[in-house]
Amino acid sequence: MILTVKRGTRGERGFVLFTLFLLAGLTACTSTANPTPQATHIRLPMGFVANVQFAPWYVAVERGYFAAEGIELEFDYSWETDGVRLVGAGELPFAIASGDQVLLARAQGLPVVTVVGWFRRFPVTVVALEGSGIQDPQDLVGRKVGVPETFGASYIGWRALAAAVGLEEQDVPLEVIGYTQLANLTEGRVDAAVVYANNEPVQLEQMGYDFTSISVADYATLVSNGLVTNEEMLQEHPELVRAFIRAFLRGLADTLDDPDGAFEVGRKYVEGLDENETGQRAVLEATILYWQGEPLGWSGLAAWQETEEVMLEAGLLSRPVEAEKAFTNDYLP
Amino acid sequence: MRRYRRRHVARIGLALLSFAAFLALWQGVVWLGDYPPFILPSPGAALKRLGDLLADGSLWFHARVTLREVLAGLGLGALVATLLGYGLGHSPLAERLLTPYIVASQSVPVVSIAPLLVIWFGTGLLSKVLVCALTVFFPILVNTVVGVRSVGRELRDLMQALEASRWQTVWLLEVPAALPVLLGGLKVGATLAVIGAVVGEFVASDRGLGYLLKQGQQLYDTSLVFVGIGALMVLAQSLYGVVALAERIVLRGRQDVMHG
Repeated sequence: MILTVKRGTRGERGFVLFTLFLLAGLTACTSTANPTPQATHIRLPMGFVANVQFAPWYVAVERGYFAAEGIELEFDYSWETDGVRLVGAGELPFAIASGDQVLLARAQGLPVVTVVGWFRRFPVTVVALEGSGIQDPQDLVGRKVGVPETFGASYIGWRALAAAVGLEEQDVPLEVIGYTQLANLTEGRVDAAVVYANNEPVQLEQMGYDFTSISVADYATLVSNGLVTNEEMLQEHPELVRAFIRAFLRGLADTLDDPDGAFEVGRKYVEGLDENETGQRAVLEATILYWQGEPLGWSGLAAWQETEEVMLEAGLLSRPVEAEKAFTNDYLP
Repeated sequence: MRRYRRRHVARIGLALLSFAAFLALWQGVVWLGDYPPFILPSPGAALKRLGDLLADGSLWFHARVTLREVLAGLGLGALVATLLGYGLGHSPLAERLLTPYIVASQSVPVVSIAPLLVIWFGTGLLSKVLVCALTVFFPILVNTVVGVRSVGRELRDLMQALEASRWQTVWLLEVPAALPVLLGGLKVGATLAVIGAVVGEFVASDRGLGYLLKQGQQLYDTSLVFVGIGALMVLAQSLYGVVALAERIVLRGRQDVMHG
């Protein structure tokens, strides 16, 4: 496990050396000054580009919640799977990842555990344009539905929705369209598309389209994004895990209480926020709905088991993975 | 003849030996580093995965999809590049006008264009073929221009003196003269086309070796990733080998003609 402690900048080091030199010259002085505690530097793989959806993290850093816990946080906007791998290998202490990634990783022997259920509702939805005649899941029978991939949260969400309403695989022709759902939908290449509920619907609205949205969360309880660590961290550094969670949850609570303030904080971190303020504000507001739930950060076994079942049925998992070991609420404040 | 056969057997033996050494080194790294399979699977685990995929036919299925995209993309890219390269090779003005744009287009990563191609041309075969064609276009174009320009002035004058038609000059002089360079470009293009197909499949697909690779990454199945990489290497090597073989046959034929 690597917990890098950030060293001072060259200027700071020069200043310290200069001060030490002066102290050495003043032989009469025998000061016993307390050493300044050094912050624990943690690089956090975010799994996505800098985005207004990470507002709670930005708030927690800017308002000094991590610093108060002795943590210096560095955001790493790398791939979700890479972050999970690094945490599983003990190279990094934490990563942001969805529950399905945790189950997949555990199935391959990565000892990763979700310690914060950040998203409380599964943020995937099926959208269809007004006039398509699609109002509810049964209307999707015989219609072409676009999915970004045949794995990942969108696909799992689709499989859960289909299972919940009794749609068979042959009932709905699926087409893999990558992350080009809006173009395919508005061009009429697909009748409906599986998208992130806090993103594409907002964009459709901005573009002036009327549409129907069938939220997966209304039909199935699945686990979504959370904070992930590894078993070694839980055993060897439980206090650091608790401190990290405390700091994040303070940022999350602040964001839920004051979305305007959180949005302002986000300007410093997210490029283009000023240029598309209305749209990005809408994204934040849509996302906040998925974080709400008391106690903050909690996740339940039922959601993990349902996610596991869906993944087994979809063939993404070849055998059960003991969902109860994939998460813990023990480190929440 | 016997000496040739002995040399051939020795070459195969050396290749097998180097492959065995590679596997031994790989296994050694796994042992010494004590790596879990999701970081570095053992050769045995990767070979087992390969065996499973061969047994259920899925590797062949995905390889066929990628091969189809590669061949179509390589064909299209080579055709357009050769035609344009021929024009540029003959027209310095056209070359001066177009080259800056063509060179600039090469600084744009294909991976950034691929999603746009999927949006414009759909998620089917066409968008992947176009990604492949774009990838192979430049090396083949450059080689065509060089090949066309490599035809000596005196040979052109000779064709003119013999009152050869435009097509006769093309088929009897320019094509044979430019062929070695053209095939050199095609060899590079053949390997690049595989990368193009994978890029296309990474954007949107549910089949193909690129899809298999992505699936392995997403499912933390590193053995599957290794099998996918291995299959792509074999595919690229085979394509390169086919073009190299064609090159040898064509050039031998050319030498036979030249030496009477």
